[in-house]
Amino acid sequence: MEMEACARCGECLAWCPAYAQDPRESICSRGKLGSLKRIVTSGLNGEEMKEFLEGLYECSACGQCHIVCPVRINTHELWERARESLVKAGIPQPEEQIKHLTAIRECNNSFAKPQTERGLWAETAWRAGLLKEPVRLWKEYQAPVLYFAGCTASFDPAMQTVAVQSARLLQEAGVDFSILGPDEPCCASKLRRMGDPGFADAAQQRADLFLRSGIGRIIVSCAGCFKGLHSDYAGILPASVEVLHLTEYLDRLIREGNLTPTRNVPMKVTYHDPCHLGRHNQIYREPRNILHAIPGLSLIEMRRHGPFSLCCGMGGGLKLAKPEIQKKMSAARIRQAEETGAEAIVTPCQTCQMGLMTGTEATSSGLKVYHITEMLIRSVCPEADRAHIEKAFTETETG
Amino acid sequence: MMHPAPWILFWFFVICCHLYLDYSLYRLWKGWSRGMKTGFAIRRLKMPVVRIWLYEVFLQRQLFSLSVMRWLVHQCIFWGFISLTFLSLTKFILLLLSRISFDAGLHDFFSQGAGYPFTKLWGDFFGLILFAGCAGALARRFVLRPVQTAHDQTDTFLTVYLLLMTLSGFMLESLRMALSPSDLDQYAFIGGLFMPARFGIVAGLGTWHAGTWIIHAFSGAAILAYLPHSKLLHSLLAPLVIALNAAEEEGRKDMYWPKTKQYRPTR
Repeated sequence: MEMEACARCGECLAWCPAYAQDPRESICSRGKLGSLKRIVTSGLNGEEMKEFLEGLYECSACGQCHIVCPVRINTHELWERARESLVKAGIPQPEEQIKHLTAIRECNNSFAKPQTERGLWAETAWRAGLLKEPVRLWKEYQAPVLYFAGCTASFDPAMQTVAVQSARLLQEAGVDFSILGPDEPCCASKLRRMGDPGFADAAQQRADLFLRSGIGRIIVSCAGCFKGLHSDYAGILPASVEVLHLTEYLDRLIREGNLTPTRNVPMKVTYHDPCHLGRHNQIYREPRNILHAIPGLSLIEMRRHGPFSLCCGMGGGLKLAKPEIQKKMSAARIRQAEETGAEAIVTPCQTCQMGLMTGTEATSSGLKVYHITEMLIRSVCPEADRAHIEKAFTETETG
Repeated sequence: MMHPAPWILFWFFVICCHLYLDYSLYRLWKGWSRGMKTGFAIRRLKMPVVRIWLYEVFLQRQLFSLSVMRWLVHQCIFWGFISLTFLSLTKFILLLLSRISFDAGLHDFFSQGAGYPFTKLWGDFFGLILFAGCAGALARRFVLRPVQTAHDQTDTFLTVYLLLMTLSGFMLESLRMALSPSDLDQYAFIGGLFMPARFGIVAGLGTWHAGTWIIHAFSGAAILAYLPHSKLLHSLLAPLVIALNAAEEEGRKDMYWPKTKQYRPTR
């Protein structure tokens, strides 16, 4: 029905960050909707189908077209559903996406690493003196709050800082929490993003695990996992299980006086809204509240921010399918950040952080890219900043 | 002298067009039902959903936030079209009711009594609005030429079609006034501008009237048949899609409200 409801106004084209890098009609939503309509009615020839598939996967499902669509067409969901339908019809995803999805299905994480390594960041951080107390596993202690680190912060050595800093900030605020450690599953949202037909079953299994374990509140530090657990699981995970993004929770803790940023952080920063947090979940205010609460820190907004924030290109499997487009998209974002005169770009998503770093590399920009926890840590407990964590983790590895 | 209008032929045409519309919508529905089913729970139609639906369908906040020019053009076409359709339907229903003396005198009231000026003002005002909207849409397409415009000739055809229908409506009104003048004609403030004498037409007004009536009435009915194949389909489906998607957003707790003041980067 949405295919017929499209008024072909082309607003999606004017805003699409992928189209800005590769201006072909088949990339923007209007073009894809037109092709989808023809697939359903008269069919596409070989060349047209090839172009449609390129457009379908040259999309980060950032949701910008949904936000600017006067008909409110839920475009990103439509692309995910279209990908799923095509897979069911025997037209698979690009090869790199298939490898990624296979890793999630077989290893329960996108890094294809043993699950036993998932909670090691917490042990290492405790041994290195980066935490106030050891982080307990859920199976040993059912705390009122579960911290869900996600695959990237658990396995990627460059991003484990986020997990350590999140845990430390929760400890600083006196939050009684534990982690699932080796039992923490991949949220499986990437299955949904890339159209894997196994998503519904995978989500049900994970929801069952949370319910069986009696978990009541989940704090997620990854925007992608948050989109998964909060939005994709809607209707699967009962409302009794509260899913919050770390920024929502930290903002609440700061407002309630449980966490107080005291030290001066004299920096000019700009803020990048992750698509999964902003456009997909309408969380714009909370991360900004956190930045405003840090003494000395000044926030300068980019030309495109909030619902119109430019995507860094990391979502929807685009980085896997078309890395060159992702690089151009993140470079465009970095150039926007540079326009503000800020010395750093801050984001509350480790995937965006990685994506933006690709942009600084591509543009040879001197702009620093930080996770929002790094800014807060510098104000609350600087002994757990990124430099200290990286040093400690390197020493542990070499030791 | 006014020639009798070919009403029987007209109603036969209307029924045929309507049947074709029904059949086309049924075929579309069959096509949609082959897709993935998404559940729609009526309980999700809460106040925020209703509110956003009203704002988006009737005020089109989203368009306003993107481009004031587009918003104005769309509002003119939307309200012009809706209001004129409402006027025609009301007149038709009152006519039917008057035949069985069940209209409480409303038909005569609006067609020749004290309500006549209101009918004239309504028709001329919204005709003007629709005309301005169509003219604005064409100006935007061919003069402003925003980058995102689709060069789809059927869209241009539809806009020109609506524009000509509006013009034929004004001409029909002026011919009717010329054939049977009334003191209340002054309320037809646009129709008066199209008086046949202005264009040198002084004889054969009855034939002109019959011809214009046929063009206006039949082209109006033909819209029913053209609707499922044109951009006009979005006038039926967009309100439906807005309601369905807003209800889903309400279910996921991620409903967004377009900002109306911050961004207007497109034309």
